[in-house]
Amino acid sequence: MAGRRAAVVEREPRHRRALGLLLTAATAVVLGTGFLAAPREHAPLPAVARYALVTALPNWKLLEPVNEVVYGSRGFDTFGETFLLLAAVVSVIVLTRPKEARAGYFGEHAAGEREQREIDPQRPPDAEERETREADEREQQEQDGGGPQHPDDPDAEPLGRHAERAESLTVVARTAIRVAAPVLAVTGFYLVAWGYSPGGGFPGGAVMLGVLLLAYAGFGRKRIAKVARPKLLETTELAGAMLIIGTELLGLLVKGSFSANWLPLAEPGTIRSGGVVQLFSVGELIEVGTGLSIVVFAVLGVRQDWTPSEDDADGEDGGHEGDDDEGRGQGS
Amino acid sequence: MIVANYLTSAAVFCLGLYTVLTRRNMIKMVMGLSLMEGSTYLLFVSLAYRARSTAPVLLNPPDGQSPAQLAHGDAADPVLQNFCLTAIVIGVAVTAVFLAVVVRIAQHYRTLDSDDVREMRG
Repeated sequence: MAGRRAAVVEREPRHRRALGLLLTAATAVVLGTGFLAAPREHAPLPAVARYALVTALPNWKLLEPVNEVVYGSRGFDTFGETFLLLAAVVSVIVLTRPKEARAGYFGEHAAGEREQREIDPQRPPDAEERETREADEREQQEQDGGGPQHPDDPDAEPLGRHAERAESLTVVARTAIRVAAPVLAVTGFYLVAWGYSPGGGFPGGAVMLGVLLLAYAGFGRKRIAKVARPKLLETTELAGAMLIIGTELLGLLVKGSFSANWLPLAEPGTIRSGGVVQLFSVGELIEVGTGLSIVVFAVLGVRQDWTPSEDDADGEDGGHEGDDDEGRGQGS
Repeated sequence: MIVANYLTSAAVFCLGLYTVLTRRNMIKMVMGLSLMEGSTYLLFVSLAYRARSTAPVLLNPPDGQSPAQLAHGDAADPVLQNFCLTAIVIGVAVTAVFLAVVVRIAQHYRTLDSDDVREMRG
């Protein structure tokens, strides 16, 4: 049995095994030596940790020193981290963006045809060019909201011809999700607003993503399209970023220090106990929740812009949805 | 015995590093990077641990301790817990960027083998 299973496993070639082993061993020695000398469970807390523990209650009325560190004494670091997350989201959006109808923007299509007529008027477009143009038009139709036309016989349709759409799960799973999703959503908001004290923006945002993914898994993309629209998510995310910038800048204007508290502090354990911590945390909830959702849905929905490979010139795969650098096929 | 956690973290980090260095499948390389990220979470949380301490929450302290005592050292290190939170968020963002790049490379070159992606060479 084991032998048969081993035969199925793909033999993946590796490279630079000796060098990899050597570098890994050297890293292991360095890390091991350092970690053996690191402070252990009986060491006194470092001064920065004691500072957070001592100041959380009197200065911020927060029962959770971790929140004091995140939004208070290391608030500027969290501020930078938020924009690192934003930069990552922008990178993923740019990388996964579907191919634009560049003919409309740059006139490459018209220029290519003109050049073709001037250089070689007799040569008709070859099969690859025709195929690429058809795929372009088909994709454009899908982008314009027409959606893919469902064939009468799906088995006759080659795989990868259209972007695949997720189907919804069974009624049992959908019912379970209907029950669990609101509970999870309320828990996420509770983490942010209350907990022991305000400041659960990061985990709250991750819970929001979880709720959205549950709904996506259970009901398919169509049902959550109203909420998981890129435009709505991107606008909300930037609103969250503006809230964070505004909260931190007001500290500079009102108290003379970036990220200082400028709101009155309520009693510990209440919803307004941390002053600006609550505002900052809500900003993080929006930023993390929408940012991670944008990233996940962008990666899930990467359009099938497969470059035609020489191997499947026979069209077996059928996934010739065009080429990223489409100018290559034209005008030559 | 918390040093066992430190060494486990080093071992997980080295496993990830070896994967990144020797594997040619780019998805596995991203998995290796995720392993390296995960090892830092374990390290931060283990470094934050203190014997006979509580979580850094200044409410309902254990019998015989007051919130003031907690504030003076009988709690886990909140700064390292904060580092861990930061590392998790950055880890998710970085992994997403890597995966998006891998998907694009796969679509363009029709392979996940990093040895076949050589157009930028030279």
